[in-house]
Amino acid sequence: MPTIVVDKIVKTFGSMRAVNDVSFEVSPGEIFGLLGPNGAGKTTTIRIILDIFKPDSGKVSVLGGEMTSEKKDRIGYLPEERGLYQDMPLQQCLVYLTNLKGVPPAESDRRVEAYLEKFDLAPHRKKKLKELSKGMQQKAQLIATLAHEPEILIIDEPFSALDPVNTQMVKDLLREERDRGTTIVMCTHQMNQVEELCDRLVLIHRGSSVLYGGLDEIRRKFADQAVLVRAASDLPAQIPGVTGRQNRNGSQLLTLDPQAKPQSVLAYLVNAGVVLEQFEIAMPTLDEIFIKTVTGQELLE
Amino acid sequence: MDKTLLIFKNEFRTYVLRKSFIFVLLLGPAVGLILTLIIQSANHNASSGAPSPIAQFFTPEINKSLEGYVDLSGRVTRIPENLSGRLKAFSSEELAAAALGRKEIVAYYLIPADVVDEGEIIYVRPDFNPISGQANSSVIIDLMIYNLLDGDQTLAYRVADPLNTTRAYLTEQPQRDPNSLLTFFLPYIVTMLLYALILTTSSVMLSSVNTEKSNRVIEILMTSVTPIQMLTGKIVALGLAGLLQTLVWTLSGWLLLRLGSGGISISFQLPFTIILWGLLFFLLGYALYGSLMAGVGALVPNMREASQVTTLIILPMVLPLIFINLLIEAPSGTAATIFSLFPFTAPIAMMTRLAATNVPVWQPILSAALLVATVILLVRSIAGMFRAQTLLSGQPFSARVFFRALFGKV
Repeated sequence: MPTIVVDKIVKTFGSMRAVNDVSFEVSPGEIFGLLGPNGAGKTTTIRIILDIFKPDSGKVSVLGGEMTSEKKDRIGYLPEERGLYQDMPLQQCLVYLTNLKGVPPAESDRRVEAYLEKFDLAPHRKKKLKELSKGMQQKAQLIATLAHEPEILIIDEPFSALDPVNTQMVKDLLREERDRGTTIVMCTHQMNQVEELCDRLVLIHRGSSVLYGGLDEIRRKFADQAVLVRAASDLPAQIPGVTGRQNRNGSQLLTLDPQAKPQSVLAYLVNAGVVLEQFEIAMPTLDEIFIKTVTGQELLE
Repeated sequence: MDKTLLIFKNEFRTYVLRKSFIFVLLLGPAVGLILTLIIQSANHNASSGAPSPIAQFFTPEINKSLEGYVDLSGRVTRIPENLSGRLKAFSSEELAAAALGRKEIVAYYLIPADVVDEGEIIYVRPDFNPISGQANSSVIIDLMIYNLLDGDQTLAYRVADPLNTTRAYLTEQPQRDPNSLLTFFLPYIVTMLLYALILTTSSVMLSSVNTEKSNRVIEILMTSVTPIQMLTGKIVALGLAGLLQTLVWTLSGWLLLRLGSGGISISFQLPFTIILWGLLFFLLGYALYGSLMAGVGALVPNMREASQVTTLIILPMVLPLIFINLLIEAPSGTAATIFSLFPFTAPIAMMTRLAATNVPVWQPILSAALLVATVILLVRSIAGMFRAQTLLSGQPFSARVFFRALFGKV
């Protein structure tokens, strides 16, 4: 049973349709990418999933049914607009937010203390949040999202304004959470992070879903008829089925005839005695797919 | 634990542990203690004739200094005993002006020849201060009455103070000593107290609601609690904190009054019903203005943009302060009655009247009932503003936006 089912949701603000007939499912224990350019409707979709906004039409099912206050306590949410009580001491703020998620006070104390130790924030527990550095505040925000040990994690632009060290820390944390069985919805426009972390994704553009499926499936779907080859020696001047070639980062991108098969090109090169260091189906990057889809959509409109 | 209770506990703890709250909590009794000392000192001064250091501190310097006069009418022939050391006669204005220049005197009076016909006396001071110029007028009045009555001191006292009544009241309520300065000050103190308490507590409501928006923690809270749970927790917590402040101030006021009376005979009594009405009208006033401020807090993106609307909102609360003399001098008049029944001015105006006179009991009951009805209507309207869409909105704020939302048009 999917953890989240979004079924044809529509949301309009005034005369602007922010979300238009968007549908997708998120499976248990996966990292799901909710992608789209700025203003595409990602955050509104998340807020509808979280029952902060009600959809004008369509349905959302979370953990097997409608959202309840009990289910909300099983969700951890990291909004794009980060913020904690700036005038409150770090530990008090985190314990309060964990309490609000239904965790008993003593247990909240214990969990927050453990996370403060894990994130090297324990010496700062009595400091007001506004006295902490930006990096420390980011970590505190993550603790507020994770301390109640949610079953679903919804994170909006998790890597924005993070330095490389903290970016890596967040990635490790997300993998750790996935391994623990947490279902993660990651909302972002940073495609490289999605490629690295996500199993499946939906791409929203101007409020509508334009791409949906597994990451490999989508990349294959958008793959040109081409292979990427690197060899210890020069490639033969003529290769049957190859109609064009170009250099790409030290490799050769060979464009194939529509009828040609990559396996026959590989067999030809091996038989010709070429010492191959790399031979792979040329897959487009998610960035390329994203641009292609979005610009294609705009052209259609 | 119920989430409303969690919000209540957090808000209450955060507010009452603030340094500013503790400071203001202690400031009230401290100011009360100083006022009591001044009034006690003034009362003591009046009864014994010996000025106390505090009374001297608050007495203008000129009242203790020597003034001169030049009599051109020939009617002023002697200085009464009680004014000796306060006045000095000069035979010409040149001599008086020279003495003023040498600072031997602080001012002088020029009594013209036709003073009896015209009643005009010229007062010459080195500085321009029309207010303090009036403060010392009793000296020259006493001098003139004494001399116009040919030096009959007893008759002069009677002319200067012809009415010395002993008042008797038929009401059964505890009497306040009409001659005590505390009786005079009570309505002012009660008015200021209520105004300060309602204004500060309501303003805290605004900043508390806006804290989540300006700290951008509102979106996280929306996934844990409902907007109404948040509003309820805040209103109750800040109301109780305000009530705590009211109780501390009222009880310290009551204790100070007992101390002020020497602990032997309470010449001034604060009727207990005033304390009860005070608590009720504080709570209702807070509920009314706190709800309005909560509405502003929900709509406004940051505190800077709230000032225009908050000024408009608290304007009705300021009206009883502007007309305080009217309320105190004619507490049973039509204007005072209207002010004390109109819900937006009632919390303060009714308490001013209750402190100034005996108000027919149906009037505070009606006033409280009208306030309750208004608060119910307001809370229902404000609850409509506490929607996630509004709380998460960063749209520009104006008085128009607020009042449209208040009437359910947004």
